[in-house]
Amino acid sequence: MYELQNVDKRFPGVHALKAVDFKVNRGEIVGLVGENGAGKSTLMKIIYGAYQPDGGVIAIDGRTVRFQNPRQAMDHGIGMVFQEQSLITNLTVMENIFLGFEQQFVRFGVIDWKAMTEAARHQLAKVKLDIDPATVTSKLSFAQRQLVELAKVLTLEERIDGDLVILLDEPTSVLAREEVELLFTIVRELTNRASFIFVSHRMDEVLELSSRIYVMKDGEVVDVVSHDEAEIDAIQRKMVGRDVDKQYYREQKQKPYDADKVLLSLKNASMGGKYRDISLDLHAGEVLCLVGTEGSGREAILRTIFGIERPDTGVLTIKGDKIARFSPQKGVACGIGYLPRERKIEGIVAGMNVYENMTLSQMGNFASLGVLHIGREKALAEEQVRSLAIKTPDIYKDCGGLSGGNQQKVVLAKWRSGGSDILLMDHPTRGLDIGAKEDVYDTIRDMSDAGAGIILVADTLEEAIGLSHNIIVLKDGEVQKHFAGAPGSKPSLYDLVHHMI
Amino acid sequence: MERIKPHLPWITLVALIAVVGIANPAFLSPASFIVLTADVVPLFVMALGMTFAVYIGGIDLSVQQLANLVTVIATVYLMDFGIGVAVLCIFAGAGFGALSGFVTSRLYVPSFVSTLAMGFVALSAARWLSGQRALHMDAEQRDASFGWMFENTAGIPNELIIAGVLLAVCWFLQTRTTFGRSLKAVGAGELAAVASGINVDRVKILAFALSGALAAISGLVFSVKLSGGDANLANGFLLLAIVAVLVGGTPLTGGVGGVVNTAIGTLIVMVIRVAMVYLEVDATQQQMVFGIVLIVAIALTIDRSKLKIVK
Repeated sequence: MYELQNVDKRFPGVHALKAVDFKVNRGEIVGLVGENGAGKSTLMKIIYGAYQPDGGVIAIDGRTVRFQNPRQAMDHGIGMVFQEQSLITNLTVMENIFLGFEQQFVRFGVIDWKAMTEAARHQLAKVKLDIDPATVTSKLSFAQRQLVELAKVLTLEERIDGDLVILLDEPTSVLAREEVELLFTIVRELTNRASFIFVSHRMDEVLELSSRIYVMKDGEVVDVVSHDEAEIDAIQRKMVGRDVDKQYYREQKQKPYDADKVLLSLKNASMGGKYRDISLDLHAGEVLCLVGTEGSGREAILRTIFGIERPDTGVLTIKGDKIARFSPQKGVACGIGYLPRERKIEGIVAGMNVYENMTLSQMGNFASLGVLHIGREKALAEEQVRSLAIKTPDIYKDCGGLSGGNQQKVVLAKWRSGGSDILLMDHPTRGLDIGAKEDVYDTIRDMSDAGAGIILVADTLEEAIGLSHNIIVLKDGEVQKHFAGAPGSKPSLYDLVHHMI
Repeated sequence: MERIKPHLPWITLVALIAVVGIANPAFLSPASFIVLTADVVPLFVMALGMTFAVYIGGIDLSVQQLANLVTVIATVYLMDFGIGVAVLCIFAGAGFGALSGFVTSRLYVPSFVSTLAMGFVALSAARWLSGQRALHMDAEQRDASFGWMFENTAGIPNELIIAGVLLAVCWFLQTRTTFGRSLKAVGAGELAAVASGINVDRVKILAFALSGALAAISGLVFSVKLSGGDANLANGFLLLAIVAVLVGGTPLTGGVGGVVNTAIGTLIVMVIRVAMVYLEVDATQQQMVFGIVLIVAIALTIDRSKLKIVK
């Protein structure tokens, strides 16, 4: 009933969508998967009216339509549930639900709050959310907000007569398992009225929910698989265009670390409101994972060791050198490299090119008396681009224009080439596609083989378990438990979660 | 649009020169061009300094008052130090600038406010030092120490050569040194610069010190040119210096553009001034025109992706 035929979209320098055919039947749940940069978000933006296609046809029930903006798409029954939550946190739930559509409740120029409350309650019931519509949104949990987003889109049911198409963009990324189940139940129940397009990085969820799955790569739909014949491995291979290593986390490459050589040791460190009485040792060749929920103190510990934050008490010794004044300059001078979670803000400098970014932490090595040897910088960058397989047209390209994975590789190259032998990695694979993730894992193994110590805050628990020699589980800023993780005797997910919550 | 943006400044300049040249062919003669260019040297030097403050994403509103102060210092101490007064002036300017930089980076006062306040300090110092009078240089001493500035070398005024040398030095600093690279990093992505172990506070203090030092040189040249000093001598420079930096293509958000852009920007200001004289725009209205030009330039150049909220 909703159909895209031959849809094309170009941006300066990028052919983002190449003759894409896409179809959603009435009451169907369609999955959409692809690596970052495969064109998923462009396709979605065209569907909900944020972009207009350069070529091709959008048709609803066989009639050609054209949307100038998302509001027009909504008028045709197409709604979007955003990944980056679009709710305004200081408004109440009902104000958010009817944002921009308050006119229906206006009597004599003022809003009839009672009517809006009733209507909001009706919407919330659709998503089985039992909260007071007058609650301020910031008080809700992430899962509840996600459901409010869905409820907001479902107001289309009353406003629009025909069929609905609802896009779900990574709706599960902030949800716990049972919340995901709840969301899926709701979505399935709603298929009597609406069709869904479900976009997610979590392949198992896509498989579970979708009746058909569109696989995208490089702006094209490379395959459409039905629910019954879908296989995770086959789909991943199509997305990446090659086989995905069974040994995803490179466990076979994990070697014992040098227990006699302590690179860094933190003793009884505390920082008000962030963490309490933390002690840890990092050895040469070790990958040490800090595991815990958001706010358990993982990030703050990394930032303390790097020198961006200062502990209230505690002693940090790096290679036998006791740190008196904490600062990133000192950290870098001691051979620490930091891969921040906010890659685009703290990792790379957007507006500077590849070689400028790579030498930013080590300009001293490429200068005499403050005068840069730019030729040597370029040579280094060429070499790193080759050895890490960084996808960039050349080393003069603005790093802000690279994809997430390649930006991360530039940051890795910066520290690796600068001789850092202690690496602090905060979600190094966040938002990366499978190919880039594997490259990061390979680099981690290579660096720890070469004797570097790595403290890792992983993106997922599986990643933490797979990559680490040792795991420290944190909860509310305190150490709960240590796990050793030699290949073959790694702790299970359950072991960890048990201590996290 | 994004692709031609970096070229807009010089295209604007060429277009303006062409328009003014057609209306008034005398403008295009090399001799008059040299005279006009030499005339804007003090402004250019000030704008050159300002470029560093803007390049790191700040602004230096104290430059005009620093130049005012320096005209007084130069005039008062010329008799005692001769040409050595230049060193005193530059140190004074750099000192004030460094102080602004310190207040900005260590005390977290936005440069907008810290330099504005520092400007008033300098203005007040100038008034106190001059006793609120217009001072005059001893003509003999002036010619002995700085007379060379207004001579020619190979037909080119030495003033222009000074400007050229300063531009070359600043360009070298900006493009070829670790300091220049750090400036760019701070302007384009300060948090990433911090996380790369760059001493960002020091970079900022140095940038403002440089801005102050160049404002001082600007004041000195201007003072020698007019053979005197008073606390209001350089008034009217500030707006033009900001316009020169911004129309040159160094946006308020920092990280792009640079000193060569400011050279182009200064020439644009010069041509607009000439055009206004030719069009007989009243002197009292010229600031209006530059105010509007400034707003247009900011609106065109600013990188909105770096600004989440503007208040």
